[in-house]
Amino acid sequence: MKSAYEPKVIGFLCNWCSYAGADMAGTSRMRYPQNIRIIRVPCSGRVDPLFVVKCFQRGADGVLVSGCHPGDCHYTEGNYYTRRRFALLREFLDYLGIAKERLRVEWVSASEGQKFAELLSDFTAELAGLGPRSKI
Amino acid sequence: MDKELIQQIRDKARNLLKEGTVEGVIGYERASDDLTSRPLFAYSPSDTERLIFDETCAHNLVKYLLDKKGKKIAVVVKPCDSRAINLLLNEGQIERDNVFIIGVGCPGMVETNWNHKSETLQAKCRTCQLFKPVVYDFLAGGEIERQAEEETYSDITEEEAKSVATRREFWLEQFGRCIRCYACRQVCPGCYCPVCFAERLDPLWVGIRIAPEENDMWQTIRSFHLAGRCIGCNECERVCPVDIPLSLLNRKLEKDVKELFAFQAGLDPEEPPPFATFKKEEVMEFEK
Amino acid sequence: MNLFASKDDLIRWLGSLLKEHIVIAPVRVQEQTTFQPISRVEEVVFDFNNTALSPKGWFLPPTETLFSVQRDDGKVELVPTKVERDAVIFGLHPCDARGIALMDSPFLQEPSDALYRERRSRTALIGLACRQAQPECFCTSMGSAPDDPSNVDILLTEVEDDYIVQAVTEKGKALLPKGLAEYKGKVPAPPKLETVPTKEVISAMRELFNDPYWEQLADRCLHCNICAYVCPTCYCFDMRDYADKGKVERVRSWESCQSPGFSLTAGGYDPRTTKGERLRQRFYHKLFYFPEQFQDVACVGCGRCVRDCPVNIDIREVISNLKQVMEAKSGS
Repeated sequence: MKSAYEPKVIGFLCNWCSYAGADMAGTSRMRYPQNIRIIRVPCSGRVDPLFVVKCFQRGADGVLVSGCHPGDCHYTEGNYYTRRRFALLREFLDYLGIAKERLRVEWVSASEGQKFAELLSDFTAELAGLGPRSKI
Repeated sequence: MDKELIQQIRDKARNLLKEGTVEGVIGYERASDDLTSRPLFAYSPSDTERLIFDETCAHNLVKYLLDKKGKKIAVVVKPCDSRAINLLLNEGQIERDNVFIIGVGCPGMVETNWNHKSETLQAKCRTCQLFKPVVYDFLAGGEIERQAEEETYSDITEEEAKSVATRREFWLEQFGRCIRCYACRQVCPGCYCPVCFAERLDPLWVGIRIAPEENDMWQTIRSFHLAGRCIGCNECERVCPVDIPLSLLNRKLEKDVKELFAFQAGLDPEEPPPFATFKKEEVMEFEK
Repeated sequence: MNLFASKDDLIRWLGSLLKEHIVIAPVRVQEQTTFQPISRVEEVVFDFNNTALSPKGWFLPPTETLFSVQRDDGKVELVPTKVERDAVIFGLHPCDARGIALMDSPFLQEPSDALYRERRSRTALIGLACRQAQPECFCTSMGSAPDDPSNVDILLTEVEDDYIVQAVTEKGKALLPKGLAEYKGKVPAPPKLETVPTKEVISAMRELFNDPYWEQLADRCLHCNICAYVCPTCYCFDMRDYADKGKVERVRSWESCQSPGFSLTAGGYDPRTTKGERLRQRFYHKLFYFPEQFQDVACVGCGRCVRDCPVNIDIREVISNLKQVMEAKSGS
């Protein structure tokens, strides 16, 4: 079913796991919503909160930050920092009036094409339910 | 004004300069309104006669140590300001050997503006649990005994209870007034990036428009850069010329950092700050 | 000839002005008084000290689009921002009015700034004489006075709860309502103000450029932009082109010589890198460069910077200090 509102989603995916996971979803011809624009980053630890806030400022409805599962980081510990940083940012953005549901942090491995597709469907549906962000 | 305390500060400062222990002493002197105070940089023993200390000495002088790197400097610090010293030590910005800390016990600072001094204690002082500096070389006036309220973050929880849309509206109204004078950044002891993200041209994170959407970007990132680092001196809010309640941002982050990572900035010069460390086993809300 | 208007007359008149004009007047925002376009006369605050920000923002807004570029059918067109309506600024104190008159020098000198010129010619200034001086006020040392009518179109002076009305210019006369009675009583004397030795110091500024005083003074300066942004005569700005989804805009925003990087040039050279050099620029522009170029001192003595500086850099004290430095130099 097509939802009434088509949200814009920006996804920061780490090169080693999540980007490969998204690739897996694609090559396996899994269906998932086309609302996402993917930005590949070397590690989820590369994602500066600044990137996320800028996405929201420029009109994104949702942002996905995705990396390797804890313990599986290609750089050993990058995603542990990601976890702390975005746990706090989600609370803070919510406090400033950007609902924390709009910022998702997910661990997706290279083999989890299915998980990636499902997560995007779920995220897009949730964002569609929230509707467009109130314009500044 | 506590004459004895002031005499101790003056004597110490004079001796430090006379003996050549330090090149300068950063303290407080009377402002041009003859009522409130302002920072004083004393370089000669005779300058130290101008030093004072009272309930109007709100400025966090630790900020100035960043301008005097590599020089031996003495600085007068209140308990809250002393946390900024630990912050800067922790982050490798100053060297302990270069700083002589003249600590003062603090009775709490009152709300002041130029030529106005109220009887009301600043909000941060009402809940301050520090009665003497966390780090010092000399404690002028000894420890002070006083009562402090418990920090309950009631104003923060009140905000949190509102709807997301109401909060959005509130903050856009607040940020809409911002004139981007950057006084909040300039006064902050934790803001010392050689090039602030707000001044970077490529990529252009914050545009030059003094408008709600750009101000929102500025204030969001400025305060988030201080997450786990803000030591609560509240100087940003005090100097804001358009009265934006910045403490609502800083204290929200302080509260969450305490809850999530059990950390408070500036209490320990060695303990790694929350974003420079992690626990493998911890589980965050979004993972549940 | 002085006219007389009761407070009710004044309120009725403002109401009628609102029909044809944008009326900018002092209003309360949170705890502060500031100039803003009003929609109802009830918003106007009549009894106020100098506002948080000066009314210069009407002529040089904190941010404005100078023009946008539109592309249509292969044609590229520059569309300048238009000034849509006539405006009235109500209730400016004489110091603020002088601030606007001083900004005219750089902005109206040919080639003049089109937007500024347009706004200036379509705005009338209704001044309000000061019956009380604040401790930070020193307008009489800067070429103005609490009852100075010279830079407004109409000057109002409060007497008890009513107003003496003085039409200063033809533009002002045309705005006044018909049928105001003549005022024959005495005009109250303006408040007395403390004086600052401005003139002596200006003549010696050239000699003081390399004095160590500036670095000493700058020790406590935070280099925020508060002084410049609250100042009625600081007019520096930055410009940048914004291109977004095919639309291009040239935007101008306030900037200040106190900002780190204000004087940074392409190639990386910055002529003013130290705190002292930056702070000195502020006072040299006000007390030396501006007078050299346009005769007047670029300060009106409103005292806003004195009131708002977080570290109490008080321009009156600076001028007095400079006088001492000057005397010490000539003495030795």
